Amino acid sequence: MANVDASPPQAGEPISEQEALRRLRQRDDPSQQYYAAWWLGRMRSRHPEAVPLLLGALRQRRPRDPGDGVEENAVARNAARALGKLGPAGRQAIDDLLAVLDDPDDGLREAAARALGELGAEQAVAPICRLLASGPQQAGAIRAGTPRLMEPCEALLEALGDIGCGSASVLAVVEPYVDHERPLIRSAAARALLRLSGEARWGELLVALLDHPQLQVRRAALMDLGAAGWRPALEPIRRTLAENSLKLMALKGLVEQGSGEPGAEALLACMDELL
Amino acid sequence: MNTELLIQNLHRASSSQELLLATRQLASCGAEAAAPALVEVLGFNNPGAAVAAVDGLIGLGQAAVPPLLQLDPENYGARAWAVRALAGIGDVRGLDLLVDALGTDVAASVRRAAARGLGNLLLDGLEPTERHGVLERCLEALLAATSDGEWVVRYAVAVGLESLAPALEPHGAGLVTLHQGLVALTRADEANPPVVSLRARLALTRLGQP
Repeated sequence: MANVDASPPQAGEPISEQEALRRLRQRDDPSQQYYAAWWLGRMRSRHPEAVPLLLGALRQRRPRDPGDGVEENAVARNAARALGKLGPAGRQAIDDLLAVLDDPDDGLREAAARALGELGAEQAVAPICRLLASGPQQAGAIRAGTPRLMEPCEALLEALGDIGCGSASVLAVVEPYVDHERPLIRSAAARALLRLSGEARWGELLVALLDHPQLQVRRAALMDLGAAGWRPALEPIRRTLAENSLKLMALKGLVEQGSGEPGAEALLACMDELL
Repeated sequence: MNTELLIQNLHRASSSQELLLATRQLASCGAEAAAPALVEVLGFNNPGAAVAAVDGLIGLGQAAVPPLLQLDPENYGARAWAVRALAGIGDVRGLDLLVDALGTDVAASVRRAAARGLGNLLLDGLEPTERHGVLERCLEALLAATSDGEWVVRYAVAVGLESLAPALEPHGAGLVTLHQGLVALTRADEANPPVVSLRARLALTRLGQP
């Protein structure tokens, strides 16, 4: 099975919910399970069998064996991602997702952290802080010979912001990451701090990243400003060099997550111009 | 520099940065003779240059329409940019392409540009029958797209319907269905994010009762 970790095509073959459940239930073909797990998350399935089957798929993993492919963990990762999208029903999966935060597979830890953030799992705050506590020099150090960090810091930081428990001890764990050597990690840390504390200095840090020479960084800052709903960023968002599609998503976040000035009508007027 | 030289520069560009600069220069010269070369840039798979070319084509207005309509329909990337240019120009000769793009294009960014364009066609100077026919097609296409699967397209449909409304006959049946389309977009449920609902409500407030 080639390229099992790529996203399934957006316009993939349409299948029914029953078909997705059937594909996830069978164990012979992991690629079918992989697609089915993605489908159930994408469609935000409410079928009573969806969560139990996804939990089964999440447990269907094994230690990494380079000679043996990664199919089973790929299914588990997609199951974790899907569980994060199932709203209240997905909260049954919190204990299992917490257990996965200690898995040796970086990609699986990352998917679990994001899912716990989407589910607003307060129980995840302490374990996520534990993973980040050693700071940018250790948890945030580059793993030799790979592009990855020792911990999936971006996902862990964003999850803390999503969950929204901004105690002093959480802020103290996150803050050192605004000096990380990678701008994407700085952006994720500023996003979490802005959401947790509401302090303007973190919004200003994100706005400064909208001038970064790399498009990828400007895109991340746009998404982070949108997630935090920081309305003073309206004008810098309008001016930054990036696709209108991403600016529109960021402005949607300012409208829906933000409050205060500039008001909704000014935000909508800017969106109208970008269509 | 005259237009001919600017076009030669564009064809000689050997890097994407040179192409971007040459396109910007040609786009800002304002000469109608630049239109075919700017349309050519839409097919070069260079987004920065295509943005500059679209701006230039919109600036040229009606003179840019014939080369835009002559684009090869198989050249998908170029066609997507052409929809944005035609939406910005507002010439009714682009109607078929905009209607087709809104109804069938796979990219939400193209459908959203088409929706905005269908609310902004320039109707002055058309015969009353033709004008009526154009408005009907715009309205029909926008109403069909109120159930588009992407929020950003539905948002653009709300904007398109708002800008189309003043051209419709006051108290006519068209205006009533237009309002119904906007009301449908105000629905608040899981699949329709608040920003779309808010934009449709703003349009209804601005338009008042039909």
